[in-house]
Amino acid sequence: MQSYVHVILAGLSSGMFIWLVASGLTLIFGVLGVLNFAHGSFYMLGAYCCFTVLKYLGAGYWAGLLLGPLAVCAAGFVVERFFLRHVYRIALPYQLLLTFAFVLIFDNLVKIVWGGGALSPPSLSFLGGSVPILGRNFPVYSLFIIAVGPAVAILLWLLLEKTWYGRIIRASSSDREMAASLGVRVPALFTGVFVFGTWLGALGGGLAVPYVGLLTPGMGETIIIEAFIVAVIGGLGSLKGAFVGALVIGVLSAFGTRFFPAFDMFLTFILMGGVLLWRPQGLFGAAR
Amino acid sequence: MGKKGMNRRQFLKLTGAGSLVAAAGTVGGGLVFPKGLWAATPKIKGPVKVGYQAVLSGTLAGYGEFHKMGAVMAVEEINAKGGIAGQKVEMEFRDSTLKPDDAIKNARYFVDSWGADFLAGIDSSGQALALAPVMAQLDRVLMVTHGATEKLTEEFVFKKGIKQIFRNCMPVYNDGHAAAIIAKDFPAVKWSTVSPKYEYGFTCWKMFQDTLKGLKPSAQFVAESWAPFGTTDFRSHINTIMDAKPDGFYSTEWAGELISFVRQAKDAGLFDKVKYVMFPVGAAMDVLEGLGKDMPDNIWISGRYFFMYPNSRENNDWVARFRTRWNHYPAYVSETGYSAIYAFKAAVEKAGSKDTKAVIAALEGMEQNSPAGKRVFRKEDHQAIYDVPWGQTKSDPKYPFKVMGAMKVLPAKEYFNRPPFEGPGTTPPFK
Repeated sequence: MQSYVHVILAGLSSGMFIWLVASGLTLIFGVLGVLNFAHGSFYMLGAYCCFTVLKYLGAGYWAGLLLGPLAVCAAGFVVERFFLRHVYRIALPYQLLLTFAFVLIFDNLVKIVWGGGALSPPSLSFLGGSVPILGRNFPVYSLFIIAVGPAVAILLWLLLEKTWYGRIIRASSSDREMAASLGVRVPALFTGVFVFGTWLGALGGGLAVPYVGLLTPGMGETIIIEAFIVAVIGGLGSLKGAFVGALVIGVLSAFGTRFFPAFDMFLTFILMGGVLLWRPQGLFGAAR
Repeated sequence: MGKKGMNRRQFLKLTGAGSLVAAAGTVGGGLVFPKGLWAATPKIKGPVKVGYQAVLSGTLAGYGEFHKMGAVMAVEEINAKGGIAGQKVEMEFRDSTLKPDDAIKNARYFVDSWGADFLAGIDSSGQALALAPVMAQLDRVLMVTHGATEKLTEEFVFKKGIKQIFRNCMPVYNDGHAAAIIAKDFPAVKWSTVSPKYEYGFTCWKMFQDTLKGLKPSAQFVAESWAPFGTTDFRSHINTIMDAKPDGFYSTEWAGELISFVRQAKDAGLFDKVKYVMFPVGAAMDVLEGLGKDMPDNIWISGRYFFMYPNSRENNDWVARFRTRWNHYPAYVSETGYSAIYAFKAAVEKAGSKDTKAVIAALEGMEQNSPAGKRVFRKEDHQAIYDVPWGQTKSDPKYPFKVMGAMKVLPAKEYFNRPPFEGPGTTPPFK
């Protein structure tokens, strides 16, 4: 019993953590139709910027979590405004290549600015440590992540479904020309959405600082693959799908690691293969 | 070509002889100092070129930087003192990316296009094994400075006779056999592991189990959990261990993954429940500096080299020079990178040639005084034999990170004797 509860908790926290990164990726794909490989780099930059605020400005972790991702938004702005905007009309592989180029650029940028070694942030005083649950300790911060995930999901849903901006975004994503002819400044809107997606990825990075407890150049590459798997399982562009996909992947791989250790690396891929065979558009994806 | 031009300019500056311009163009920088000790070794022409590859990208990029610090420092020191047998050392550093095919590509580039005389580096065992057959074709000496698999020296050098390969870092014997020899004295009986889910992790755990079982038949192995490369979330693995309630824990997780593991295991209370913990590569500087005060006390750690051992003038001077040059404590790959370049220097000067065959002959059985103490390159399998300490983590006000207290040094010969070259006197129960 103790073991099951802890495995589920571990699965929930890793699932919600992946969701935080996958949400921005999914939003950008859903609205702009761009598969943004560099999203993992925004996650990495978010973590590094948060760390920098925390360490060099002497500010606390929460200030870092607020300011770090905001700084990364500048990078997102530059990428969309000066590069991606010019390739929307050409084939998808070019977008992938362009964003992949940014992965390499940002990885090297991080190495130049912060050095190639791993950075290890100081432990948190608030939300640090662990609480006993059924006689075994569970990190407080992981509980916090389990709470933050659904909160971000609800706020995103409210933003997209209940606000005026949400309606404009949805309208522009389903028909750019029509929205433009109705007076929506689509390019500016797309830049805004991209920067917002960047912020979500960078926020995930900021939250990763105490969660993973380690920053390395290239840390975005592992997470981007998981985020892509989650996005594909849920249905590309579907936020609901990404949320459910992340939960399923997180809990499934936690169980796999604990109870089927020989297959833990395959389980997520088997699931992805199964879902794609059964519903090629993903669990919540719209059929095309 | 740019490098050659520099040499010519230096040549002109040094001699100031305008009439030698034409001559300088043809002889290059090699004859800048045409007298002294090295005038006696006329066989060596042109600069001594070393192609070094280590990982500079991805999550382990820090390792490449540490390799570079050591190797660059050796090149700088050697060149400042007149080079190798009077010839300047040139080094090119490339990213090995940890992928076997990239290691081969780099090696071919170094030898075929750039004209390397020596190769060095290599972090992963997979790369070392992939590169072994290629080194026989390229016919250059490769000094492996990090990849630790015992198969490299046992199978490729000893059995298959690929003589071009040498290794100056500790192999997995220290992570497996030596750990077991130390663990046999602990009261712990039920052992468990969370280790990397690839060759290195499997080999070490198997070696540890076999040797410990032989020395202490009551030992049991109650839980194992394998973490794939790139794991950042160890919480489920930690659950596996906690469920088994072991009293001993052994892990060959390394670098950033070990840092994440220790933090998460500490949060989960693993170190309160399990009293005997061993990290065979826990004494790496990236781990100790990365964890700082978060590293628990009384954990048994070791590495391929630790900057506090040996407490000799040579080592302490080197550590001081390293700190002045780079503002860092040397990591173990810094030491092996540094000593690799000096091993090439010693071998070339001993052989009087940089020809591969002559250098191999010079390196075999060669003794080298290095920061890590005395190294001997074993003739049979080209593995350098030297001692490294095991010790328990403790705080020391002099350092911002935990260091090794209560060091225990097993003579390398006691656990390096595989394959058994020296008769039946192979004390630990190796299988």
